[in-house]
Amino acid sequence: MFVVGGLFAATMTVGVGAALLALLISVLTQGSECGSPAASGEVVLGPPGSGRLVGATEYGGPGDPSSGTIGASGANLLVHPDSYAELGGYTFQTAIAMGGLPYMTPLRITWGGHSAIAYKRDFGLGGGPVDGLPRVIDLWWELAGNLGIPYEDGLWSGPVRIARPPATGAASLLGQTATGAASLLPSPIATEDPAVCGPGSPTGVPLTSGERAQMLPSGLAAAPAGAPLAVKEMIAAGNQIVGKPYLYGGGHGLPLSDIAPAYDCSSSVEHLLYGGGLLPVTFDAASGTLESFGQPGPGRWVTVYANPDHVFMYVAGLRWDTHNAAGPGDGSTGIGWHPLIRSSAGFIARHPARL
Amino acid sequence: MKRSTVIRLPLCLTMAGILCGVLGGCVATVPGPGQRPDSPVAQAQATHEYPSPPVTERAAGGAASASAAVAAFATAYINWDAQTVAGDMRELAAQSIGQARSAMQLAAAQTADDYELQRGGIANSGVVEAVAPLVGRRDQFVVVTRELTTASATTAYQGLQPAWHLAIATVSQAAPGEWVVSGWQPQS
Repeated sequence: MFVVGGLFAATMTVGVGAALLALLISVLTQGSECGSPAASGEVVLGPPGSGRLVGATEYGGPGDPSSGTIGASGANLLVHPDSYAELGGYTFQTAIAMGGLPYMTPLRITWGGHSAIAYKRDFGLGGGPVDGLPRVIDLWWELAGNLGIPYEDGLWSGPVRIARPPATGAASLLGQTATGAASLLPSPIATEDPAVCGPGSPTGVPLTSGERAQMLPSGLAAAPAGAPLAVKEMIAAGNQIVGKPYLYGGGHGLPLSDIAPAYDCSSSVEHLLYGGGLLPVTFDAASGTLESFGQPGPGRWVTVYANPDHVFMYVAGLRWDTHNAAGPGDGSTGIGWHPLIRSSAGFIARHPARL
Repeated sequence: MKRSTVIRLPLCLTMAGILCGVLGGCVATVPGPGQRPDSPVAQAQATHEYPSPPVTERAAGGAASASAAVAAFATAYINWDAQTVAGDMRELAAQSIGQARSAMQLAAAQTADDYELQRGGIANSGVVEAVAPLVGRRDQFVVVTRELTTASATTAYQGLQPAWHLAIATVSQAAPGEWVVSGWQPQS
């Protein structure tokens, strides 16, 4: 149903298949511009765990029959009592008080010490502030009841806390989705949490939640907020030279503290390792030398893959390489961060001690 | 890049690089003086990687069909807990080749000491709902799974329903009747 403040409703039939397709498309295409501003009037949700207070209303139930029982997504809300509607405007395109979340986006909703997960299956008309908070969410009456909210025939309003739950599924937990661990987060990912965007670390590198580095649309990388300092500094060093031209032999013969006009595979990897305090400033070697770097095998945070012909590395799960060796979807053709994992056949894996 | 090549690197190539940097945006695809267009250095300049001969990998085991290989791999990939995940990923690495092996090796290394996974007592479980060939690709499959993430020491996942996830798998035939996964690229 199209929820209109609990006063009248316009039933809309949207196929479940179309909703699932929209969800899939949104998951596959959404970006994650750190710090992107929200549209006027929107509440911007932070990363998982960083909730915020918003204005809420309730709808449906015996005292509000005009709201009907079919959500705009096509779902029967009687079968899915854990449902909410995103508010704002008159259509799916304008009901974006929380940024325009895709259907089935889960939110953790907390009221009066009670907490529950609910899924977006509807949208509705917005309205004025609730207790001074922007009115962004309408709670299906059974959901509201599960939270302990008294039923007032669809007329209740008050503040609730909403938060994204953590991303689920093996690929997200292992940081292996193409866009990093935050890929399931509906856009925009802009956040109020100052630890996530902005300098936030001694190196000035952008930070992101989770355990994996995240590639930003600019081609730079955001470091995991909880990563060791050396990892953050390596990512900062990489960001310094993202997009530099490739030149076979480039970057050699210079102190690693310099920013060279061009790099090749080994000089660019060494620039990052130096940035993390893992190589002396005068170190200058070809890729084969890095076959004996550090300790054998992949590392928890950093893995260098070297052979006499090439070297690349992973820093907090994000690949540093000189081209898009993993094929389509692997980012730029140049020196920098690449979102996909490539084959390491024929390479020796090494990692720095304790990383 | 070969070490010996670095030592012999012509000065003009370095100067060309400096000039490229000064001019900005220069992509040097033309080999330096004296370099044949098909020489390894010229190829490196064009592809940004020194050409290496292909390396043969051997996977432990294999499945009788491509779809069976994908289904077995996917099932193991999505069913683990914080205590077993590193070992499970190591096992998957041994059973796969190419990019898939590399991805599983990294996952094993990164989860072996993952404080967040251990502290939260996080586990993932699920079923493979579909394995379907990509149109026009005999070696690539779309894999649809339905997974539930739980945690024994945090309420963060409490109340979340199982969710659909999607991955693209690539297979290779190691021997007649022996299929292994060579690529694994989760999309969600």
